[in-house]
Amino acid sequence: MKNNILAGNIVETQDLTKTFGGDIAVQSLNMQVPRGTIFGFVGPSGCGKTTTVRLLTGFYEPTSGTLSVLGKKPADFSDSDREKIGYLIQQFVLYPDLTVWENLNFAASFYGVGLFRWGRLNKLLDFVELAGDKNKLARDLSGGMKRRLSLAATLVHNPELLFLDEPTAGIDPILRRKFWDYFKELQADGHTLFITTQYVGEAAYCDLVGVMYGGKLLMIETPDGLRRKAYGGDVIGVRTNEAIRFEHRQQLESLPFVRGKVKIISDQEVEVIVDEADTAIQLLLEWCRAQKLTVEMMEQKSPPFDDVFIRIIETEIANE
Amino acid sequence: MSRIFKFLIRVSSFLGKEMTEIFRQPRLILTLVLGPFLIMFLFGLGYPDQNRTLRTTFVTADPAGFQKEMNAFTESFNSKIFDYVIESEKELALAKLALNQTDLVIIVPDIPFETIKNNQQAEFLIYHNEVDPIQIGYIQSVARILVDEVNRQILQSMAEQGQADSGSLQIDLETAIAKTQMLRQAVPAGDVKTATQAADLEKDLTNVHENLATFRSLSSGILVSPFSAKVTGLSEVQVLTVTGFFAPAVIVLLLQHVSITFSSLSIVRETRSGIMELFRVAPIKAFETLVGKYLSYLFFETILAGVITALAVWLLRIPILGSLQDYALAVVVLLFTSLGVGFFISLISQTDTQAVQYSMLLMLASIFFSGFFLDLRLMKAPITFIAWSLPATYGIRMLQDIMLRGSSVPLLLFLGVAGIGIVLFLINWILLRRIMESRYS
Repeated sequence: MKNNILAGNIVETQDLTKTFGGDIAVQSLNMQVPRGTIFGFVGPSGCGKTTTVRLLTGFYEPTSGTLSVLGKKPADFSDSDREKIGYLIQQFVLYPDLTVWENLNFAASFYGVGLFRWGRLNKLLDFVELAGDKNKLARDLSGGMKRRLSLAATLVHNPELLFLDEPTAGIDPILRRKFWDYFKELQADGHTLFITTQYVGEAAYCDLVGVMYGGKLLMIETPDGLRRKAYGGDVIGVRTNEAIRFEHRQQLESLPFVRGKVKIISDQEVEVIVDEADTAIQLLLEWCRAQKLTVEMMEQKSPPFDDVFIRIIETEIANE
Repeated sequence: MSRIFKFLIRVSSFLGKEMTEIFRQPRLILTLVLGPFLIMFLFGLGYPDQNRTLRTTFVTADPAGFQKEMNAFTESFNSKIFDYVIESEKELALAKLALNQTDLVIIVPDIPFETIKNNQQAEFLIYHNEVDPIQIGYIQSVARILVDEVNRQILQSMAEQGQADSGSLQIDLETAIAKTQMLRQAVPAGDVKTATQAADLEKDLTNVHENLATFRSLSSGILVSPFSAKVTGLSEVQVLTVTGFFAPAVIVLLLQHVSITFSSLSIVRETRSGIMELFRVAPIKAFETLVGKYLSYLFFETILAGVITALAVWLLRIPILGSLQDYALAVVVLLFTSLGVGFFISLISQTDTQAVQYSMLLMLASIFFSGFFLDLRLMKAPITFIAWSLPATYGIRMLQDIMLRGSSVPLLLFLGVAGIGIVLFLINWILLRRIMESRYS
């Protein structure tokens, strides 16, 4: 987590549940989002991410459980509370027949931003790199530009807490990266960002990641913590000049700091899951020396979050 | 920043946004303004100011004799109501009517004088093939004119006959008076009683003679039709063209339709786009949204009304006898209520298409029930409820009073339409609150 994280939780839920008829959309959700963090909400489509955001913004009423956003129930939000919230909806909902500037101006008006706002609007357009397109009609914008315009409209009243529902959905990887740069800048300015995404890899940019599956929040972790939880520890890759034989692997698995089975990558390379990578690397080097294995490479691996996510889900399904 | 200031800013958000969106559709605006004028122009062209001449087939047993009667009738009637032929076979005439080769078939009574002598009315049977109530009304009026004219001619000829007969009676009277004078002179002097009786008799006979002379000197036409009528309207515009009469109604229908069309799409489009989800989270209120939308459309449509009125006055020479302030007041209240109807449609519609369909239905209802075609006084009581639910009904009457009669704003009509507008505003506010401010369960 970053140093600029402020004290206290901006969002808290306790056994938050939402059902539609007999269908459970969100089940017993418990979470705390610290102020000043980027909180990633990761999960497959239809897992309850948007429903959770709608519960937090007050769009939906919870079926049971409690929640607090900015220290209040969303049902009790005053106008000034609402002015502290920015909400980016999944789809483009602004007006196609208005220009970029007119849409932004409209958003500023309905949030009650003062009339001398040109400076702020221009700054926002610079921020989302739409300054050169401010007279373009929204209907003539590309998908990525529309997303940037929507983001600018979400930021127009300088909200303290941002709910961004899949802000990077359907846009190219370069722009996605750029969006995360924007989010980091916003975090640096003191905003709290609650971001849902289907792109599991984006979890790496977050301070905390909540993993949703089938309406349940499986865990909340830092990105590294998520990896550790998925694999049961840190992953260390070992490559030697000699072949790593069956007896070597059996011995490795019997070491006290090694967890689970050794994964064979090739005759001379394996992956080992350990409790703590920093201490385990030294112990593994000593073990290799004892086994007369010449170490060509030994390093902590960072498995892609797609793999991490799949492992977590598979574990969840197995537990069920 | 004060709450009121923020309220005004939020209201202004929709004020600016809605106007920009409207003015960004110039082709639509052009169609909305010029389209109805074209319709009015064609309507004026296609609707003659003269009475329609009816192709008429008279059916009688004696065509030759009836032709003589008709020649006299046509001379005295001096009208082009009938373009007639005479037939002797009823079935043939009715077949022509069914084929639309004639407009009317009039069966002339066979033995009218015998019927009348028997103290019964001789009846003309008139057949037509119309379904249009205005045309049926016209035919009924023509039938009345025909019967009145025939009655008048018969009475006139009877009066002339009476005058001719009274000529011999007058000669007889003159003889009687002369004889009475001789009788009075022959009465011996001193026979006062007989002389007085003779003088009284002479006096009575002289009176009768003078009255008879007066009767004979009268025109038979005056005897039959001693009264006449002259019809005068209260309006300064004594003779209205068809276009002139319908102009206020067309302006009202046009303004109502434009208001409803625009506003009926406004909210349903936003509901469909998903921006309502954003509004629900944002601090903006349903009331602020609605006020902004009303003001925006009122502003735009007031300008539109001004343009239409200017075109009507300067191009079509439609008079506005009342004051312009009264006219403007009536138009603004009509627009306010029409917008209420449109927003209501928008709030209850699921899709744009549905909203457009509702608007078109309302337009159709307004044409039929607002008094545009048929006078409301002809309408049956339960149906008038529909009429008085439509802003156009009030608008047409208000504008006709102001433009054609020179009246001020009719208070009851004004309060009626304003009341509907206020009720609709409140309903719309409640419905929009339900969408924007209440949470979905």
